Amino acid sequence: MRSVTKNGVRIFFPQGFLDGTAAEELLSIDDVNRTVKSNPSMILVSLKKVIFFNTNGLEPFIKLFKIARKENHTAVGFCDYDLKKYNTILKFYKDDLMFSLFKTEKIAQLFATNYDNKNINVLLYNEDKSQRTAMAMELHDNGHTPIVAQSEKEFQEKIDSGTFDTIIETTYLGQIEQNVATRVTGNAIIYTVNAFLDAEIGESFNIDYHFHSLNVGFRLFIFDASKVVSMNVHAMNFFSKLASSGAEYNANICFVGMSFEKTQNEFKNTLEDAGIIFFEQMDDILKNKDMLSELGSSSIANIKQKRVINKVMINELPNFVNATVATIEMMTNSTAVKDAIQVNELSIKNTEGMIASSIGFYGDMDGMILLVFPVEIAKKACELLIGESTEDAELILDTLAELVNIVGGKLTTLLSDHDINVNITLPRTYPNVSSLLDIVKGKKGVQVDLSFDDDKFLFFLTR
Amino acid sequence: MITIEQINTYITKIPPAPDALKKTLLHLNNENLSRAASAAQEDNALSSYLKTLVNSPIYGFSNVISDIPQMFGVLGVPRSQQVVYNYMLSLLSPDKWKLFKLNKTTFHNLQSDLSVHWQKILTHLKIIDPHIQSSISLLPATIIVSEALFCENIEDVNQLRSVNPIDLNSILQRLCNVNLFDLCQMIAEKWDMGVSTSQIIQASSGLKPSENKNINILGKWMHLLLFYILSKPKYVEAGLNDFIDFQIDYVEDIYDDFSKVMDIS
Repeated sequence: MRSVTKNGVRIFFPQGFLDGTAAEELLSIDDVNRTVKSNPSMILVSLKKVIFFNTNGLEPFIKLFKIARKENHTAVGFCDYDLKKYNTILKFYKDDLMFSLFKTEKIAQLFATNYDNKNINVLLYNEDKSQRTAMAMELHDNGHTPIVAQSEKEFQEKIDSGTFDTIIETTYLGQIEQNVATRVTGNAIIYTVNAFLDAEIGESFNIDYHFHSLNVGFRLFIFDASKVVSMNVHAMNFFSKLASSGAEYNANICFVGMSFEKTQNEFKNTLEDAGIIFFEQMDDILKNKDMLSELGSSSIANIKQKRVINKVMINELPNFVNATVATIEMMTNSTAVKDAIQVNELSIKNTEGMIASSIGFYGDMDGMILLVFPVEIAKKACELLIGESTEDAELILDTLAELVNIVGGKLTTLLSDHDINVNITLPRTYPNVSSLLDIVKGKKGVQVDLSFDDDKFLFFLTR
Repeated sequence: MITIEQINTYITKIPPAPDALKKTLLHLNNENLSRAASAAQEDNALSSYLKTLVNSPIYGFSNVISDIPQMFGVLGVPRSQQVVYNYMLSLLSPDKWKLFKLNKTTFHNLQSDLSVHWQKILTHLKIIDPHIQSSISLLPATIIVSEALFCENIEDVNQLRSVNPIDLNSILQRLCNVNLFDLCQMIAEKWDMGVSTSQIIQASSGLKPSENKNINILGKWMHLLLFYILSKPKYVEAGLNDFIDFQIDYVEDIYDDFSKVMDIS
C-alpha cells in the first residue's frame, strides 16, 4: 500500500474495498514496525479512495494506531472521508475511539506540531462541547486562530458571513499529545516539546539527529515550548549542555512561548547565560526575516570540526554518486555524463542561477551530500513530482527537498547492501549558493562535476 | 526511467494475433461455433488454455469439459469470444513476473475473476453484445504493460513513491505523455478488437470519461469492478491494488447498484 512521509507526517493511502479479507496483506508486521520505528509526528490513514470498509478492514490500521500511541505517543487518525464514512466509524468505535478523525488531510495538518503554516483562521463546529473546546485549545496551541461556533445554526451563519481559511466540521479529536516533533522551516529546525520537561527529555530528544543537523549546516534551533507546563532542573541542565555544545558551531537555540509560571524563574537566567534566547511567539522570529537570517546564518570561523573524508567513504563513493545520478536521471528522463572528479574544497565556477540542497547521513558512517543544480534542471526534475512545470520558487525548493530525500533513501538502500547502515537527516535547500559556500568553507570533499543534457550539475561529498 | 522510444519499441514488438486465433474470432463474429471450435483446435496452446480456464472453479461447471466444440457450445458466442481474447492477452504476459507478485495461474485467475463478474454486470444491465462482453479481456493489459515497462525500475518507482503517492499511470503520463490505457488502446487496434472495446477501456481509466453516455456507464462499472477484484487478498498481495489510482468520484453514482449486483453488505 502506498504511504508517504511529508513534513514528519506519515500517511497511508489504501484504496478500493477494505473488508478484512486482505487485512494482513494491506499492512504487514514489517510495515507496522518500520512506521513505529521511524517515529513520525502523526500517522494518518486517508480514506479518500476507499469506497467500502468494515471493522475487519480497518483493524490493521487500528492495531498500528495502538502500537504507535503506546510506543511513541504519536497522534493517529483517519482523514479524507465524507459524512457517511465519518458516522460509520463513530458507530463502529463509539466505546473505544482512541484515534482522531480529520475530515481532510489539510485539517489534520493543522493539528500536527510540525505544520509549517501558522496563524490559520479556522471556523470550527462539533456538537459535542468538550470536542469543540479541545479542538480550539489544540489549534490555539499550534499557533492558529480558532473561531468556535456554539450551535449548528451559528456555524451556518458564520460560514455564510465570514471568510475563513479553513472550516472544520465532522472532525473528532482523539488522544493527540505528542513527543518531541521536528520540522524544518527555511534555515531553522523547530522542535516541539510539551507538558512536563524532566530527565526524560534526554531519552526522547534525538541528540544524534541534532548534531548531524549542525554538521549539515543548520544553525538555528527553535524549541516550541508553548505547550510546556513546567521544567525541572534535569531538563534545564540538558538544555544548557545542548546550548554549550552548539556554541562550537555558532548555533543559536531559542525557546518560544515558554511560560515560567510553574518553573523557577532563575532557570530562565541560567538558560540565558548558556546562550538560549527566549521569545514570546513563533512569529517574533519567523516573521522577522532579518533576525531569522542573522540567527540562522552560518559562521565560517566557528565551524570547529573540520573533519576529512576517509577511506571508507571513498570506497563507497560510487554508491553516493550512483544514488544521486540515478535519481536525477529518473526524474529528468535524461542521461548524465561525468565530467570531472576531484578531491578539494567545493568549487563552483558560475554561481548565477544555481540552487542547492544538502542532506546529512549518520550511523556506520557520517557526512553530508551537497547537490548544486541550475534552476532549469531542478525545475525539470521536480516536474515528475509536481505533475506540471512551475515557476514558483518556493514550490521548486520544497520539491527539491523531496528529491533529495529520494537520493537519501536510495543511498540508504545501496549502502545497506554493503552492510553499512545509515540514517538520513531532513534535507536543507538553498535558494542561492552563497550560504552553502559558507557552510563548507574550509571543508575538503569529493566533487563530481556532471552534465545532464549539457546542463552542469555538481555533487559534493564531505564530512 | 522510461522513454517514449521504449514504449514505441514495446508496442512494435507486440505480435499480431496468430492465424488460428484470427480464424477462431472470425467464425465467432459470424456466430459459427462449430467452425470456430475447429479453428481453435488447430492451436494446441489455445485448446489447452481454454480447457484450463473453463474448468477453473470460478466458471462453476459441475462436469469437466474437455471438448472444444462442447466448450464453445456451453459458453455461447459472446463468452467464447471473451475467453479467446483472454488467451490472446495471456500471450503477452511475461514468463516471470518481477514488478507484481504474479504467476501464470494467478494471472489466469484474475482474467477469470474479471470475466465472470463482468458477465454479472452485463446481465444486470441487460446488455448482450459480444464486443462489450469481450472488452473486459483487454483490461489486464494495463497490468502486463506496467510489468513490461516498470519491471527494471522497481527501486526507482518505490523511492519515488516514498515521497509522493503517485501511481504508475501518472508516472508514465508525466514522463512520456501517454498512459497505460492509451497503450491498451494501441494493443486493441493492433488486434482489431473493435472500436467499442477501446472506448470502454479508455473510459474505465476513470480519467477520460466518454461523451457517449452508454460507453461512459460501462467505463464506470468496469473501473469499479477492477478495484473490487484488486481488493481481494491475492491481488493485494501481488501488489496490484494501487498500481493505478481508484477514481472514487467517477463511480460513486453506481456504487449502490454495484454492491447489490456483487452482494456486498
